[in-house]
Amino acid sequence: MLEDPTRPNPDALLAEARREEARHSTGHLHVFLGMCPGVGKTYAMLQAARQRQKEGTEVLVGVVETHGRHETAALLEGMDLLPRKPLGHRSLAISEFDVDEALRRRPQLILVDELAHTNAPGSRHAKRYQDVLELLDAGLDVYTTLNVQHIESQVDIVQQVSGIAVQERVPDSLLDRAQEIQLIDLSPDKLLQRMAEGKVYLGERADHAVSNFFKETTLTALRELALRFTAERVDRDLDDLRRTRRVTGTWKTNARLLVGVGPSPYAESLIRWTRRAAARLDGTWIVAWVEKSSPLSAAEQEVLTRALALARRLGGEVVTLTGDNIAAALLQLAQERNVSQIVVGKPEHRGLSGTLADRIIADSGDIDVCVVRPVAGRTPANPAGGSSHGPLTASEVGEYGWALALTFVLTSGCWALLPHTGYTFSALVLLLGVLLAGMRLSRGPVLAMATASALAWNYFFIPPQFTLHIDQAEDLLMFGLFFIVAFSMGHLTSRLRQREIAERRRQRQTAALLRVTQSAALSAESAKGLQEALRVISDLLHGEVILLLRQNDHTLAPAAHPASSFAPPPKERGVAVWSFDHKQTAGRFTDTLPESEATWFPLQTATSTMGVLGLRLSRDARLDFQARQTVEALVLQLALVLEKEHFVQAASRAEMLEQSEKLRQTLLDSVSHELKTPLAVIKASLEGISGTQLPAPADSYTHEIATATERLQRVVDHLLHMTRIEASVMQPEMDWHDLRDILEATRTAVGKSLHQHPLTLFLPDNPSLVRLDASLTTQALANVLHNAAVYAPAGTPVEIHASFSSHGLRIRVRDHGPGFPGESALRVFEKFYRAPGTPAGGTGLGLAIARGFMKAQGGEIMAQNHPDGGAEVILEMPQPSGHDLPDH
Amino acid sequence: MTCLIIDDEIQIRRLLRLALESRGHRVLEAESGQTGLQEAAFHKPDVILLDLGLPDLDGLEVLKRLREWSRVPVLILSVRDQESIKVTALESGADDYVTKPFSTAELLARLSAISRRHHSEDETEIQVGPLTLDLPSRAASLNGQELRLTPTEFELLKALASHAGKIITQSHLLKTVWPGHHTDQTASLRVHVNHLRNKLMPMEIRNEPGIGYRLLAV
Repeated sequence: MLEDPTRPNPDALLAEARREEARHSTGHLHVFLGMCPGVGKTYAMLQAARQRQKEGTEVLVGVVETHGRHETAALLEGMDLLPRKPLGHRSLAISEFDVDEALRRRPQLILVDELAHTNAPGSRHAKRYQDVLELLDAGLDVYTTLNVQHIESQVDIVQQVSGIAVQERVPDSLLDRAQEIQLIDLSPDKLLQRMAEGKVYLGERADHAVSNFFKETTLTALRELALRFTAERVDRDLDDLRRTRRVTGTWKTNARLLVGVGPSPYAESLIRWTRRAAARLDGTWIVAWVEKSSPLSAAEQEVLTRALALARRLGGEVVTLTGDNIAAALLQLAQERNVSQIVVGKPEHRGLSGTLADRIIADSGDIDVCVVRPVAGRTPANPAGGSSHGPLTASEVGEYGWALALTFVLTSGCWALLPHTGYTFSALVLLLGVLLAGMRLSRGPVLAMATASALAWNYFFIPPQFTLHIDQAEDLLMFGLFFIVAFSMGHLTSRLRQREIAERRRQRQTAALLRVTQSAALSAESAKGLQEALRVISDLLHGEVILLLRQNDHTLAPAAHPASSFAPPPKERGVAVWSFDHKQTAGRFTDTLPESEATWFPLQTATSTMGVLGLRLSRDARLDFQARQTVEALVLQLALVLEKEHFVQAASRAEMLEQSEKLRQTLLDSVSHELKTPLAVIKASLEGISGTQLPAPADSYTHEIATATERLQRVVDHLLHMTRIEASVMQPEMDWHDLRDILEATRTAVGKSLHQHPLTLFLPDNPSLVRLDASLTTQALANVLHNAAVYAPAGTPVEIHASFSSHGLRIRVRDHGPGFPGESALRVFEKFYRAPGTPAGGTGLGLAIARGFMKAQGGEIMAQNHPDGGAEVILEMPQPSGHDLPDH
Repeated sequence: MTCLIIDDEIQIRRLLRLALESRGHRVLEAESGQTGLQEAAFHKPDVILLDLGLPDLDGLEVLKRLREWSRVPVLILSVRDQESIKVTALESGADDYVTKPFSTAELLARLSAISRRHHSEDETEIQVGPLTLDLPSRAASLNGQELRLTPTEFELLKALASHAGKIITQSHLLKTVWPGHHTDQTASLRVHVNHLRNKLMPMEIRNEPGIGYRLLAV
């Protein structure tokens, strides 16, 4: 082995990490496992739940079957019971566990008895375990009970042991999610004793099968099964533990199993065997189905679809291969995917070229091959479709007619020509007929025609005529050859034709895929392109298609996309939403809400769900495995196209925004140029005049001009600042600054207006570095100071206190004026707000700008009246926490 | 001193001419970027006053072209008051930046600061008011008294003193003092400037928040 055996396998660690993650985000699943009914699972579950309730956990009894047992019923007293949801089922009063209500009430822990239960038609999910999955995904803890015979991977063994085919099954993947599996054990003796006392509920059907089930031998076998299942589970948990704790020990090789299945009744059994083996080896597993050139009958497809669905449910990876040589196809896949073991069924009889198992073993190289004896599954309940051996369909009868008619025509033609040609010529003509028929007709009619032609040739042409008797040895040989050639030709041509049909079907799918991509992606108008794409899908599958797209707020649009070919009834919308939210296929032909009219496929890409596609087929149509694969491929294409469209739109929106931002900046620049240039001229001129000696009245006039200019300049500044805030395009440049530099710059910015108010600074002792945008803070502070200068009487002092608190930097600006009148302290930061009784002048924008600038850099600003009089404005700037501070 | 004013506003040009001529300077005018560049090449002015919003070329572009062949001191005089533009202009080779509306007195003070003869590469001593820097021995003295400076402080003082009165952007200071480091050292810069300030009293190192520092010669 090349790998270091002590090194943890990264895949395994990742898997453990995922499991760990799932454990945190989803609910906790606790399964009470028993070997059969009557061991006291429900009782144990209720006891455990009561204990949790006593510890303060909020417990809700979702559904519990007491079966009239008093002990169990007694335990239910004082617990919160969820009413069942009645299903509108004519006269029958059927009620089921109410998932929606449970999700709405969101208890910490919910009890759901009998995990394997099959829900009544009309429920959201076909199986109760699906309800449980939804509860877990929503983060609820679940206690549930289960008998070992209902575990999917154990079904075959149970059937071998008890002879009962179990219909209600729970996939192992759900049990893999369980954090705890608690075995409720009881010896068969005790159980039989309890049965005798009538303490075991056997259901309404206490018939032969049930009594057979409760034999001591069966019970012992079931008990062993349950014990072993639990033991394997514990073993795996231990391994996980060892892996995560990095205890050195043997690391399992990365086992990967491959099982080849076909449309046979043994497929499901093989799949279950592989799943069990893979679980024991702690490896992954692949189920491969090799599609041959000959098409499957409806019944075969049904079997196959079910088998592959089972594989998916059990957590296997399903791969479809193509090729007529199954062994070669499987071996190639095994090599590509680094498979360690190939699983094949034990053959019942040998063919000419050896069995599949033989051929695989011959070429398997260093891959292990397990040959397993599978158990035949139930024969498919198949009320709708005709099987390949069933009564002939109308078109098949027609084909037989055509074949015989052609034979008749050719025979008569040859008969007419016989005097001129001789009987060997007729043989060639008849062979040509078989060849031609093989190109148009299916296998059965062609083979019938080959037989008919051979007989006709013998009867009408080979001497002695009008008998089936042949005299000459040469003729006998010729007849034999004719028969063989006609038969093989018929066989070959019809096979070619089938292959061609299959090829054509694949081509049609590929072409459809291409057309969907092209029409949706390359069309200039996206709506038209989508319409075209949906039309292609609906043509290909002969159904109606509806598209519901995601909205900008990441919910499903209420209305169907205009390209859809039908509108969903409100009931269907719920299914669509479920499919969208859970990113899973739902509706008809699935296990979730199978009563729906349509099947809903989420438009799922690697990163997001773009919407859902609904497909409504005619009432008697079926969605087989291949059609489903096609739909999924089409849906993926559509999703990718929609996602691309989404990104393109987002990009163009961003570009537009950028353009308008540029325009706005240009406008702002030009406005500020136009306003500030004349101001600059006036100001510079005034300065020029003030240097010269002027007569008294002119001096006063210039003083007035100077004051007005200052005010005008402030208004212009305020308006430009406010515009910047309103456009919310400020990008604060946060950097470290010396607080004293900031305050010094503020003092300069306020300029003359503060000259009549002595300013005192109170700074922290340490030279203090603060992180902020210098220009925004300076402007904000300057506006606050200016405000103080305007409102406080000349000569009163203004103080600035800077300090550090848990909120960061805190700068308090206090004046000794009249303070904010009344409630105005709450409103001073509003735009254009001017407190009652304020002096004229001022834009009412100063403090609004101060707030805008502080908010832009993540700060805060507040106003209040100081308890000792005067107004106080507080600016706060959060500062990086300790470890981000620079070294001094 | 010959000043070239490149500004498209005739009123500004006239005012500046008045102010400058009254202090005995010679004034040249250009109303566009192109003519400004021609004037600068032809008359070799001692200092240039450059507006950023010109009709033909952007002021920054004029500055860039000018700097390809001339080291004449340039003072930007513009209505644009965002820090980012100021920093860009200074880093593109402008010597100082004054926003309109401006105070004439301050403008003239800045002009004379940047047009003062710059310290040239081959000199060994820098003199700014009472401060003397002896470069070969890396010694500094204030009023004849030796200053005890750390190597970083010396580098910092050298950078500031060789362009005394002129604003030095903080990114320029960072590059000079900590070559090779990225510019996220502003906090350290502030601390070092503080130490230097304490040692240099009564000389002043003035900060323009978000832009840089200038050393004032008392």
